[in-house]
Amino acid sequence: MKTLYASLFYCLFLTCHALWAQDYPTNNDIHKRLQDIAKSSKNANLSSLGTTEGNQDIWLLTLGSDNQDQKPGIVIVGGTEGPHVLGVELALQFAERLLADHPNVLEHTTFYVFPNMSPDAYAQYHASLKYERLGNAITSDHDRDGSKGEDPYEDLNGDGLITQMRVKSALGTYIPAAEDNRMLVKADRAKGEAGTYLVYTEGIDNDKDHQWNEDPAEGIAFNKTFTYKFPIFEPFAGDYAVSQKETRYFIDYLFTQPNIYAFICFGPENNLSTPLAYNKQGNDKKIISSILEEDATVNKMISDLYNANVKAKPYKQTNQGTGGDLFQWAYFHFGRFSFSTPAWWIPEIKTEAKEGGDSKEKKDKEDVLPYEVNVMKWAEQEGLQELFVPWQPIAHPDFPNQTVEVGGLKPFATTTPPFRMVDSIAISHTNFIVEFTKLQPKLEWHNVRTQKLDGGLVRITADIYNNAPLPTHSQLGSKSRWLQKLKVSISKPQEQLVAGNPTQLIDHLKAYEKKTLTWIVKGSGNVTLTAGAPHTAYATNALKL
Amino acid sequence: MKTIIRNTLCIVLCLAALQYGQAQEKFFRAIGTPHKPKVQVSWNRYYTYEGLRDIMQQIAQAYPDLAKLHSIGKSYQGRDMLMLTISDFKTGDPDTKPAMYIDGNIHSNEIQGAEFSLYTAWYLTEMFGELDFINQLLKDKTFYIIPTINPDARNNFMNEPNTPHSPRSGMIVLDNDLDGQAGEDGYDDLNGDNHITIMIRKSPDGNYIKDPLNPKHLIKVAPEQRGEYEFLGYEGLDNDGDGDVNEDGIGYYDPNRDWGWNWQPDYIQRGAYKYPFSLPESRSIMEFVMAHPNIAGAQTYHNYGGMILRGPGAEEDLDTYKKSDVKIYDAIAHKGEEIITGYKYLVVYKDLYSVFGGELDWFYGGRGIFCYSNELMNSYLYFHKNEGRGNREEELKVDQYLTFGDAFVEWKEYQHPQYGTIEIGGFKKNFGRAHPGFLMEQDAHRNMAFTIYHAYHTPKLSVTDVAEKSLGNGLREITATIYNERLIPTHSSQDLKYNIERPDWVSIDKVNVVAGMVVDDQDFNKVTEQVEHPEKIKVSNIPGMETVKVRWIVSGNGNYRINVNSAKGGLAEWVP
Repeated sequence: MKTLYASLFYCLFLTCHALWAQDYPTNNDIHKRLQDIAKSSKNANLSSLGTTEGNQDIWLLTLGSDNQDQKPGIVIVGGTEGPHVLGVELALQFAERLLADHPNVLEHTTFYVFPNMSPDAYAQYHASLKYERLGNAITSDHDRDGSKGEDPYEDLNGDGLITQMRVKSALGTYIPAAEDNRMLVKADRAKGEAGTYLVYTEGIDNDKDHQWNEDPAEGIAFNKTFTYKFPIFEPFAGDYAVSQKETRYFIDYLFTQPNIYAFICFGPENNLSTPLAYNKQGNDKKIISSILEEDATVNKMISDLYNANVKAKPYKQTNQGTGGDLFQWAYFHFGRFSFSTPAWWIPEIKTEAKEGGDSKEKKDKEDVLPYEVNVMKWAEQEGLQELFVPWQPIAHPDFPNQTVEVGGLKPFATTTPPFRMVDSIAISHTNFIVEFTKLQPKLEWHNVRTQKLDGGLVRITADIYNNAPLPTHSQLGSKSRWLQKLKVSISKPQEQLVAGNPTQLIDHLKAYEKKTLTWIVKGSGNVTLTAGAPHTAYATNALKL
Repeated sequence: MKTIIRNTLCIVLCLAALQYGQAQEKFFRAIGTPHKPKVQVSWNRYYTYEGLRDIMQQIAQAYPDLAKLHSIGKSYQGRDMLMLTISDFKTGDPDTKPAMYIDGNIHSNEIQGAEFSLYTAWYLTEMFGELDFINQLLKDKTFYIIPTINPDARNNFMNEPNTPHSPRSGMIVLDNDLDGQAGEDGYDDLNGDNHITIMIRKSPDGNYIKDPLNPKHLIKVAPEQRGEYEFLGYEGLDNDGDGDVNEDGIGYYDPNRDWGWNWQPDYIQRGAYKYPFSLPESRSIMEFVMAHPNIAGAQTYHNYGGMILRGPGAEEDLDTYKKSDVKIYDAIAHKGEEIITGYKYLVVYKDLYSVFGGELDWFYGGRGIFCYSNELMNSYLYFHKNEGRGNREEELKVDQYLTFGDAFVEWKEYQHPQYGTIEIGGFKKNFGRAHPGFLMEQDAHRNMAFTIYHAYHTPKLSVTDVAEKSLGNGLREITATIYNERLIPTHSSQDLKYNIERPDWVSIDKVNVVAGMVVDDQDFNKVTEQVEHPEKIKVSNIPGMETVKVRWIVSGNGNYRINVNSAKGGLAEWVP
C-alpha cells in the first residue's frame, strides 16, 4: 500500500514537474530534483563527490537494488560541457523515468548518474549575462601570455547576451549569406570572393593584442581535461590532464567501482547516430587511435538500436570525439564501452529546389544550405523568432569611425531545444538505455555434469556461457588492468582438488561464447561453482556430489 | 699573593696546553671535501627515511642562512615529502633565483639517489664560505633538493624482505592478476633473513649445476648435458591457491609513469597509474614545480648502469626535442661523461627502453626545463672494466675479493609446502643495484659535480651595455644590451613552442617612454615595436651565451634605471 502511494505521488510529481517547468533547471533546481528522486525510492541514493571552485556540488545519483556493486554498471553523464544544457535535463529525466516506468531494470543493472559535470559553466545559462561558457570557476591563462582572464566578453548592446559583432571592412573575411542576409558565411577565396565583414564574438580587446575575448574570465572545461589525446596548453584545457577537481572526483570514483560496464554520455560527441569506424592503421599503432575491430561491431549494433529508438536523422553530426573529451577516455583509457550523443540537433530543412531532382545531382550543385541559414529556416518553421538578435549598430572603442553591429544567433540556439521538446527526447533516450541493458552480458552455467570415478573421486564438467549479444569485456578492455577478468571458483579446498585449482581466471567471453571447465574432486557433499566479475555479475551453480 | 701566582701559572699552563693541542691537530685537509663539517655524516651507508630526515634537520639547523627544510606534501602513507632549499638567503629571495631541482629514489629500490642528493646539500652548505666558486654559486642560484620522493616504499625496501628490484613502486596495493583481490600473493621471506633471494630445487629436468669451484655459482649445462638444479624464482608461496607464486604483491605501478607529458594508460605503458599525477608523491612535486617557475634545471637519480639520460622517453616524442635544445643537452652531458667516470650519455627511447609519462619528459615537455636522469652505479666502479649490468661472474668476484661474502646468502635447504625440498640463497637485496659502502662517496661527489655544472649553466643575466643617443627635440634613444652569461636560455624551444613560461621583461623607469622596441638587427635598424606598455618590453627569450638588445625612445631628462625580470633567468639591474 505504501508503495502504491509512493508511486502515485511520484506520478503526480512527474506530471506536475512537466506542467510547471518552462525552462531548464538551475543548479538549485537540480539539487532539489535530485533530493526528490532520492526520497522517492529506496533504490536511489544521492551523494556529493565534492564541490567545484564555484562552490557547486558534483552530484552522483546511484540507481540500484540489492547487491548493486556486483551488477553491470552504466554511467550516465550530463553536463559534459557547460553549453550542453539539454544533457543535464536528460540525465535527470532518465533517472525519474527509469524509477517510475522501468523499475525492474535495476534487478540486473546499476546506474551511476552524474547529472551535471560542469555546474560552474552551466550556471551561465541562467546568469544575467548569458553565454555559452565552457570553463569552470578557476582563473586561467587561455592565451598563455602570462596574465589570467584579462580579455573577457562584454555585453556591448546591453541585452544580457553574448552574441557576435560584425565590423564592416574591406579586409573582411565574411559576407552575408545569399539565402538569408542576416547570416554571415565565409567568403570563398577559391571563387575569388572578397569579404565585407570582420566577425568577432561580442566584446572589447581589453589587452590590446588585436584578439577579441581570447582570454575569457572562465577556467578549464571538464570535457577537455581527460587523458586521451589531451590538448595540452590549448585554451580551456590547461597545462596537464585531469588538472581539475571535477575530473578527479569523477575518475577517482569510477576507479572504486569495478562493476562499471558502459558509459552513455550526453554531450557534443556522437557515435550513436553513426558508429565509430574501425581503422586498421590507427589500430596497429602503439598508441591506439581507432576503435578496435570487435568493438566497432558492437558500436554498430548499439547505433542501430539507438536509431530505432531515437528517430532523428543525423545532420551535421560529425563530432566523433575531440581531444581530452570524456567519451573517448571512457573507451580508450578506461576500457569500457562508451557511447555519446547530443540527443538533439537542428534537423536539416529541405529547400524547395532540393526536393526535386535526384540526390546525386543535388550534391553536384552544392545547393546544401549553409548551417546558419538552415538554423534560421528551422527557427522560422518552429515559430522561434526569438532565436536571433537583429544586428544593431554600436560605437566600439576598438573600431573608431567604423560600422560595428552586434547581433546574430543567440547563445544556446543550436545546442538547446525549446524546453517543450525535451520530454519526447527524454522518453526516446530512456527507452534506448533500457533496451541497451537487455543486451548486456549474462553469464550462465550449462551442461553441469558429474561423473563418479574410482576411489571416491568425482569429475565435474561444466560450461560457463555468456548468453547475450554483448561480450563480457570490450576488446580494448581486455587489455586494461582496470577491468577484472572472469573469476571461476569451486567451493572446495586445494587438498580436495586432484585436478584444478580453487580459483582460475578467464580473460573474457565474447557474445554467446562458452568455455568448458573440468575438475576432479575428492569426497562428496555440496559444491558451488561461481563465475563472473563485478561488471558481468556472477553466475552460480550448486550441485551435490 | 700566592693565589695570584698560582692562578697565573695555571692560566699560562692552560694556554700552553691549548697551543700544544693545536699543534697536535688530528686531521689534515683532503682537497675537495668539507674539512671539519658542522654536520657529521657517514657517506658509506644508507639511511632510512628517518635517517635522512635527521641529517636534513641537522643541516637546516647548522646553516639557517643557507638551508631551509620544509615539506612539500604527504606521501601515500602520510610521510612528509621533505625538501631542503639551499641558497645564500642573504643575497635575495631564493624563489627568484634560477634554480636547480634535484630528487632521488622515485623507484623505491633505487635507494642511493637519496644519499647522493643529500650529499649535494651537505657539500654546498659545508663548503660555503670556503670556496669563492660555491659562494658565488649560492649567491646566484637555488637548489631544491628532495632526497627521497618515495619515502614509504624506501622504508619498505630497507625494513621488509625484498629483492634488489622490489617494491620499485610505492605502497599502494593493486590487483595485479585481476582476480578482484589486491596484494594477496606477494613474496614470502621463507628463511627469515629479510632478503628475498632465489629458490632452486634438485630436479631431473634441471639444466644447471653448482660450479664445483664456487658452489654459489650455478652454471648452465650444454643442451645435451644433464643438469642437477632448476630455478623456481624468488622466495615465495602460492598464497591464494590459483597455481601462481608471487603474482600479486605490493603495487604494482611505476611512479615514473605518472607524469603529465604524453601520459599513456597501463595497457600501452605498463606501470601507469590512473592519470597524470594520480599518485600523491608526484602530485606534490608537480604542484611545487608549477609554483616555482624559477626552476631552470632538473636532475633525478635512479639506478643502475652508469648513465646520464635525457628524453625523449618514447620515439613518438622525437619531434619534441628540437635541435637547438639538444645542442645544450649534449654540451652539459658530454661534460658529465668526463666528470662521472664510467658513465655514458644516452637517450632513453633509443638506448634504454620506451617510456611514456616519465618524470624527465614532463620536466622538459610539460615545463620546458632541461632535465637528466642518472642511472647510478655501474660495473666500471668495481674493477674498472665495463662488464655490464648483472654480470654474475663479476659479481661473484666482487663478493670474493672486495666484500668477502657479505653480498651473498649461502644456499640452504628448506621444506617448501608446494615445491618440497628446495634450497634458498643468492645475492642480497642491497647488492648489485646499490653501491657497496666503499664506492659511495666518490660517486656521490662526481654526480653532484655534474649537477653543479648543470646548475651553473642555468641562465645568468646582466645588462652589459647601455648606449644613449640624442634624437633632437628633447628625445633620447636608449639601447640596452642584455647578456645571458650561461649555456641555458631563459626559454627552451619547447617553452617557446607552447608559451609555457611568461616572456622576460626588460623595463625602464623614471623616464617618459615615447616608444619601445626589441632590436632584431642593430646594424640595419631592424626592430620590432611594442605599442602597448613600451616601458616594459616583453622579450620572448634570451638565448644562452647571447645578447638581446632593447631600445626606448624617451623624452625629457633625468636618470633612469633598467630592470630585467626573467622567470628562469632571475633578476638583473642597471643603474647609472
